[in-house]
Amino acid sequence: MVLKIFFPQCCNRADSGLLVGRWISGHDSAVVLAVIHYPFIPGQVKQYIQQMQAQSGVELSVLGSWSLPKEGQEGMESFLRDLSTIFPQERWLQIKRQMGKTGFTCEILNRDQSGKAAQQDSIKKKKKVKIEEDYQHDDSDNKKQQEKKKEKIEEDDQHDDSDNKKKQEKKKEEEEGEEEEKVIFVHYEQRKVMLSQLHPIENGVPDPKTEPPSELRQVFQTVARSQPLFFLDRYDDGPLKSTHWQSEGREASIIMELLKQASVPLCLLISWLLSVWTWICNVRIFSLYPLRFLSSKLSTCVQLSYRTEHLRTLSSAKPATGHTEFMRKSNILVSFLIDVALGLLLISWLYRDDHIRMLANTLVPAADHVAKELEELLQWLMGAPAGLKMNRALDQVLGRFFLYHIHLWISYIHLMSPFIEGILWYGGLSACLGLTFALSLLSDMVALLTFHIYCFYVYGARLYCLKIYGLSSLWRLFRGKKWNVLRQRVDSCSYDLDQLFIGTLLFTILLFLLPTTALYYLVFTLLRLGVVLFQGILHLSVDFINSFPLFAMGLRICRSYRLGGISHFHIVHHTIFVQQMSFKVTLKQRRSSTISFCLQCIKLHREVNVL
Amino acid sequence: MGPDGAPGPSVPWQKVLWERQPFPDNYVDQRFLEELRRNEGIRQYRYWTVVKEAGFVGQQLSCVAIFISLWLYMEQGLLSPETLLWSSLVCALLGYGLYQSLSSQVESGCEPRTRLADLQSAAIFLSFTFGFSPVLKTLTESVSTDTVYAMSAIMLLAHLVSFPYTHPSPPGSLSLNAALFASVCLASRLPGALHTFAMLSCALMVFALWPCLLQRVRDIAPTHFTGVCLGVCVGGVGGLGLQSPGGAVLLALALGSVTLLCPLLLVRLQRHKDNIQGPWDEAEIHEDLDHGRGT
Repeated sequence: MVLKIFFPQCCNRADSGLLVGRWISGHDSAVVLAVIHYPFIPGQVKQYIQQMQAQSGVELSVLGSWSLPKEGQEGMESFLRDLSTIFPQERWLQIKRQMGKTGFTCEILNRDQSGKAAQQDSIKKKKKVKIEEDYQHDDSDNKKQQEKKKEKIEEDDQHDDSDNKKKQEKKKEEEEGEEEEKVIFVHYEQRKVMLSQLHPIENGVPDPKTEPPSELRQVFQTVARSQPLFFLDRYDDGPLKSTHWQSEGREASIIMELLKQASVPLCLLISWLLSVWTWICNVRIFSLYPLRFLSSKLSTCVQLSYRTEHLRTLSSAKPATGHTEFMRKSNILVSFLIDVALGLLLISWLYRDDHIRMLANTLVPAADHVAKELEELLQWLMGAPAGLKMNRALDQVLGRFFLYHIHLWISYIHLMSPFIEGILWYGGLSACLGLTFALSLLSDMVALLTFHIYCFYVYGARLYCLKIYGLSSLWRLFRGKKWNVLRQRVDSCSYDLDQLFIGTLLFTILLFLLPTTALYYLVFTLLRLGVVLFQGILHLSVDFINSFPLFAMGLRICRSYRLGGISHFHIVHHTIFVQQMSFKVTLKQRRSSTISFCLQCIKLHREVNVL
Repeated sequence: MGPDGAPGPSVPWQKVLWERQPFPDNYVDQRFLEELRRNEGIRQYRYWTVVKEAGFVGQQLSCVAIFISLWLYMEQGLLSPETLLWSSLVCALLGYGLYQSLSSQVESGCEPRTRLADLQSAAIFLSFTFGFSPVLKTLTESVSTDTVYAMSAIMLLAHLVSFPYTHPSPPGSLSLNAALFASVCLASRLPGALHTFAMLSCALMVFALWPCLLQRVRDIAPTHFTGVCLGVCVGGVGGLGLQSPGGAVLLALALGSVTLLCPLLLVRLQRHKDNIQGPWDEAEIHEDLDHGRGT
């Protein structure tokens, strides 16, 4: 049987004292949560542990003793051994460490069935375990370790090459050759394991009927739930002192606390505004056909409804129920803030130095220029474009039709030109709702300003479609076939003489006019494609700002252990025969459902070399 | 007796493969090919009958030649569109009268078209052609003349190839359409809209109405049919001869080969016909043999 001890890294240098933690039910392993320092009064310790147990709901207990003798504390060891009578346990761990030496010594005192716990020396299986210690990163105090690392077999699990801070667990064990019981010592970083939320607490209520959850899951849950234990820090005046990740003082930010206080009335205000806005939107006038159609086509309206939905999600009174929803909400919030910040930047540029007027003054000539270019294009098409021989009469007709359209368009633009500056001025204000609004508005304005191109495209496409349809139908007539609608196939058919005559006449005409129409269609489709591409880029950037998971990115960079991912283990000693053992751990990851990944823990089978 | 000279047991040989018989595999007896039949239902053609039937092909060829020569006259201004219109009107009326008189002799099995329907069809033809002739005039303006000629030639060839010579009435879709397409192409090269109109009416008469009349003549009066064919051939060669003698010679050669030489060849080669038939299924080799094996 292998005993696993999950030991927090922060306790490596703790003063001697008691190990507080939990035996994990169903598995032969223990989690050490904190070290209570000597001196203490056992009664107070018991009381404190009961109190903590009541607050956190975790079955806390004293696991054993911890000794790291400093100068003048040589007699500590026997005292700590005697403590096992005061805190009766099935097994009593005795972990020792020598100052200046790397490695731990662990003794396990098994309590006898008859209750003779005090007689330890001969009856108990005594375990002498030398534990190699490995600081996985940024631990510079141990130079020996650096040398040893070179000899280490590094065994990573399937896909971890990026994140090495996930769960800092290392299993290592060195054991004297003939011993039958082994101890695996796993270092974990308490802060990251606690904050990772990889195994949400609400799922952690154990169901006695089903089989107990996996070991790692229990470890994570135990650490995450025993948060009250970590509130005791060195500045407390209580009778007990303990070492854990927060023993140097708790992290807190005044700004965060203020924001938490302020968020409630802010949410209330926003939801009230939203309800007013929703009421306005639901007025019957807006649900009439043309308005609804227009609002579904205008990207500003679409963006508005999108943002409304976002704000509704954000300002809802219910807290986020799961990790996924929490991530979604925070992503929305961060993207909204970024959006507004970018919009304010845009506003500050627009309204400085009269940029609006400049824009308005360039817009009308630009539209004129586009119209002029279009006119030249049409003139070119009406000639012999690219040496193509088009039907002159049809060419002239189409060209004049489109020229008249452009003429109409120019007069419309000139009619509008006095108001353009005002429109831009008020439109620019929309940027204070966010850069996405400004971009959507720009997209809509581009759509309106290139309406003539859209019209050309529609005319050309309709004409071309009609022509192709007629030609395909008449080609069947030409071959003496017809389309059978009922059977969905082409049947042969005998036509009348006059049908044949008129059909052939039309076929000839359409066939000879086809190149002209096709050319017009092609040119206007290309123009339209350009406009669509521009609008597509605008929409793409709007969508990018709307839905890019910035918060998750930031979390990934700054606190990557909060996101489900990977973990890896380092084997410390190269002489160790390695056998792999896999744990299935389900992790809740951002947005995705549970994924399962294999944590490969390494069980050290046998060790030959004794340190 | 089989090639291997197998012993002749008392069991008679059977022409089956699914039974085990005391004969070698390649053994057959005298009854093996007795059900073979050669050239079943062969028709012995007689030369002049074939020539008479081939006259229809010749006259269709001549019709195309007549149309082309009319177009040549029109293009060179030798023939005014009014003349062509009036003469084709007269021809159409004459032909219609002849058609009606011939049909009155035939038993009216299926319900005949009424005069009103004929008039309606004629009105549709004329109005559409007249209405579209300005459009048709400018249709091929930008297309080069060589292209137009090539297209017309291909289309006329398609017309000749796909013409239903056994039952020319009603005319086949593809042949009529090809001829009309060619005539539209040619007519659009003429100088004026009226020329186009006249040319298209003429094409309608030559390619659509004339085969119907000729079919009826062939049914009712076979003796006159030969004369009519001969007349059309002579007219075609003569009409073309006035414009291009070389073309006329070529046409005459083609007519001669189609009406005289080809029937001669047919009758001669008929002797070498060897077509075997029997009570067996012919082996069919499917192209998707691999596909069939795969599935």
